[in-house]
Amino acid sequence: MAALHETGRGLSQGARNALPLLLFLLIGFAAPLIAVVAYSFMPARSFGLIHPPTLENYAEVFTGNSYISFTWSLLFAAITVFILALICYPIAYGLARVFGRWSPILTLLFTIPLFVSENVRLYGWILFFIKNGVLLGTLKSWFGIEPESWLFTRGIVLLGMVYVYLPFMLFPMTLGVSMVPNETREAARDLGATRWQVFREVDLPLSMPGIMIGLLLTFVLAVGAIAEAKVLGGQTIIPITHDIEIAFTYAQNWPLGAALAVLLMLVVGTLVILVLKRFDLDAILGRR
Amino acid sequence: MSERSRHALIWAWTLAVLVFIYLPALCILLASLTASRYFLFPIQKWGLDWWRKTFASIEIHQLFETSISIALCVTVVAVVIAFFGALAFARYNWKGRTLFQKIVLLPIFFPQSVLGLALLLWFNAIGLQMSWMTAVFAHLVWIIPVVTLVISIQVYSFDPALEEAAFDLGASRLQVFREVTLPVLLPGIVSGSLFAFLLSWGNFPLSLFTTGADTTIPEYLYAKMVAGYTPGVPVLGTVSTFGAAIILLGGYWLITLRRRAQT
Amino acid sequence: MGPSLSPTGGEGIYDKDCMSKRPPILQLKSLTKSFGTFNAVDGIDLDIAEGEFFTIVGPSGSGKTTLIRMLAGMEQASGGDIILSGARINDLPANKRPTCMVFQSLALFPHRTVGENIEFSLKIKGIDPAQRKTRAFALLDQLRLPRDHYGKSVQRCSGGERQRVALARALAFDPQILFFDEPLSAIDYKLRKTLEKELKDIHRETGKTFVYITHSLEEAMVMSDRIGVMRSGKLVQVGTPNEIYSAPKDKFVSEFMGDVNVIPVSMNGSRKLIAESFDKEFAVAAVPDSFSAGHLVIRPEFIRFVDKAKDADNVLEGKLYNEYALGSRIQYQVRVGENVFIVEKLRQQSSTLRRDQTVLIGWDAKDGILVTG
Repeated sequence: MAALHETGRGLSQGARNALPLLLFLLIGFAAPLIAVVAYSFMPARSFGLIHPPTLENYAEVFTGNSYISFTWSLLFAAITVFILALICYPIAYGLARVFGRWSPILTLLFTIPLFVSENVRLYGWILFFIKNGVLLGTLKSWFGIEPESWLFTRGIVLLGMVYVYLPFMLFPMTLGVSMVPNETREAARDLGATRWQVFREVDLPLSMPGIMIGLLLTFVLAVGAIAEAKVLGGQTIIPITHDIEIAFTYAQNWPLGAALAVLLMLVVGTLVILVLKRFDLDAILGRR
Repeated sequence: MSERSRHALIWAWTLAVLVFIYLPALCILLASLTASRYFLFPIQKWGLDWWRKTFASIEIHQLFETSISIALCVTVVAVVIAFFGALAFARYNWKGRTLFQKIVLLPIFFPQSVLGLALLLWFNAIGLQMSWMTAVFAHLVWIIPVVTLVISIQVYSFDPALEEAAFDLGASRLQVFREVTLPVLLPGIVSGSLFAFLLSWGNFPLSLFTTGADTTIPEYLYAKMVAGYTPGVPVLGTVSTFGAAIILLGGYWLITLRRRAQT
Repeated sequence: MGPSLSPTGGEGIYDKDCMSKRPPILQLKSLTKSFGTFNAVDGIDLDIAEGEFFTIVGPSGSGKTTLIRMLAGMEQASGGDIILSGARINDLPANKRPTCMVFQSLALFPHRTVGENIEFSLKIKGIDPAQRKTRAFALLDQLRLPRDHYGKSVQRCSGGERQRVALARALAFDPQILFFDEPLSAIDYKLRKTLEKELKDIHRETGKTFVYITHSLEEAMVMSDRIGVMRSGKLVQVGTPNEIYSAPKDKFVSEFMGDVNVIPVSMNGSRKLIAESFDKEFAVAAVPDSFSAGHLVIRPEFIRFVDKAKDADNVLEGKLYNEYALGSRIQYQVRVGENVFIVEKLRQQSSTLRRDQTVLIGWDAKDGILVTG
């Protein structure tokens, strides 16, 4: 794929086109993250980067009870990913193989919620589950029963997370499933494999890139969830993001918040590098 | 299990999940149609009073203005930068390309609230006052990579020989860009613009930390959800949902219409 | 020398003497393109005459695509000269060269109509719409496209129509040379044969210089005035189709066109041509003094089945081992010891032979070609 009349002098055409984006990411992404790392080594409750570096914030994290929030965030993210993987695979399979001409419309229907703010979507669930809300109000007026509201429980927070992050699992998975050539599956059938064997030997391995990206994306985003726990869960779950937010706002302890953020970033970053390193993006995104 | 029953099961499951997805939207719609101050289901008093009140409210107008300003700025800047980024991503073979591709993905594979907080820190560190403009910047950090991916998908199917042919036929580089590259990539650019606008319009985590005194609609709704419920909230929620749906369906319809006209 | 398998065109149409009198329109002198230490194009010297249909043939990786892209201006030459009508054009970018290329994928602008595609180069030059339209219609006529296709979207055109539109677009601004990058390689056989003939007709009508590349020698033979065989970046042989076919310079060129019989031979002490694998002396028409070892090439259509050893200059005994029906010809494979000979006959001349039947095959001295390499 040569560019027009490349003279070989200066930056290649590809590099020149990449420059604006790279510059933007440098000041908009790299710099803030570096700032966070820098802040994490500042003395607690201080402002500005002028102080000598210290590890006291990290000590605070490991001795204090932030690790509880950390564990909850990771645990919930993992459970969400697991549940979503099970929910979304059949749908992804359907979109790629079963629905035919209905696929574009269905994909569109699944896409629309992505553009509605997540807290708005979660709000609907509040209206559904709240006392005298859609569910309980109906039960009361039709059947006369008045069970306790499911809001502000751990389960409902999980429901909220599964709800919000569904598209992020669905779309990469759909991409992955569509990458399995139909002929390969037919060949496996032809050679005597049962449906389960075809799934295990052909479908699963060949759609793995898409599945992995879905798992990764969902986990990474779910770990950073903040609205679900607050809106649906009240005080039952405090995710790590909430701790970070409190540190930044009420507690006015930026260095501590920064340290928490750095730890979160380390977890996320390691996973991302591990997974993305192995994938050829060109092949996944459709380059010929 | 036969294939037919398997397919039926998959259909049933998918439709069930779709209902699950749209159930909250339905609840919000219902809640907006009550005339009473509180939400009681089944609704006793139906009415459009709150719709009228919301659309008349100055505060709401201000919110719309803020959200739209941010979204429009984000769209324009994102599409321009992402367009060239997409060319670097998918079209030209250059030395740092694979590394570039991975770098572009990083802001997407990143917890948004942490990004918002990091930007808050950064802005404070360099002494910037938070306002809707810092929110634009924050949105862009996440949205430009997404739009880059969207446009890249279009660029991948772009035949480079088209540019060479135009060049060979006598066009200058600028003319090649204007007559061939831009028009052929237009569907991708339009999709990218839609994505940029809608993602910015509905964004909460980034806005929460970077808008400062200004407020976007998602932020306002959040504040009201946590304290101070009014049925104005479901009205806005419904507008948000249906607005997004209409824009998306409209965009999809436009693109299919154009494609049908060409074949 | 006129068996029924000779290529159309023969020697009569190509006028060798006329060629040598006219100055060449395109001259390549030591043209090289290197990528690091690898030379994709390795010192090519070539003269192409004005109005000639010149085809460069070679397998994939021979460098022919790189060569034509250099000539068209898409790639920069690493060394040597490209001279067009006496002027060195190495540093002239493609959009300033009075040449035009037809691409393998045709590269028709999908968002434009047939008319807009054809008129593209004229629009760039600033020619007014009315004149552009006239020219476009003239080209549509010349390329046997109906005039109502002018407003048709190129995405709705058939394969053959798209080829013609691509050609019309290239001819629109009247370039001096047209380059073709294997435009017919992705088309089915029947359509390809039709388009080959049409291309030849267009060439004759416009009188322009066509430089064409393909991997199929057969395709080149149908259309070209002269052919250049390329291998590993170098031009191995240049000549008319007849010359390439009947007087290949080496084993590579001779094997390029389908099945041939190739026997390793060498000169022994008493200047006789010996084939070790047969332990036999072979009779040939003439042996160059410089020849010491190489191959004897006999085309299948020159070998025949004989009854007695006296019936041909060279006779061998073998067993019939396979028979293939190839349309108008029948191909026989005959095992002689460890070697397999390929014999071809026209269908109406074929005899009834049985498998494993012992046969005598023979050819005349004048039909064997000595090649080096």
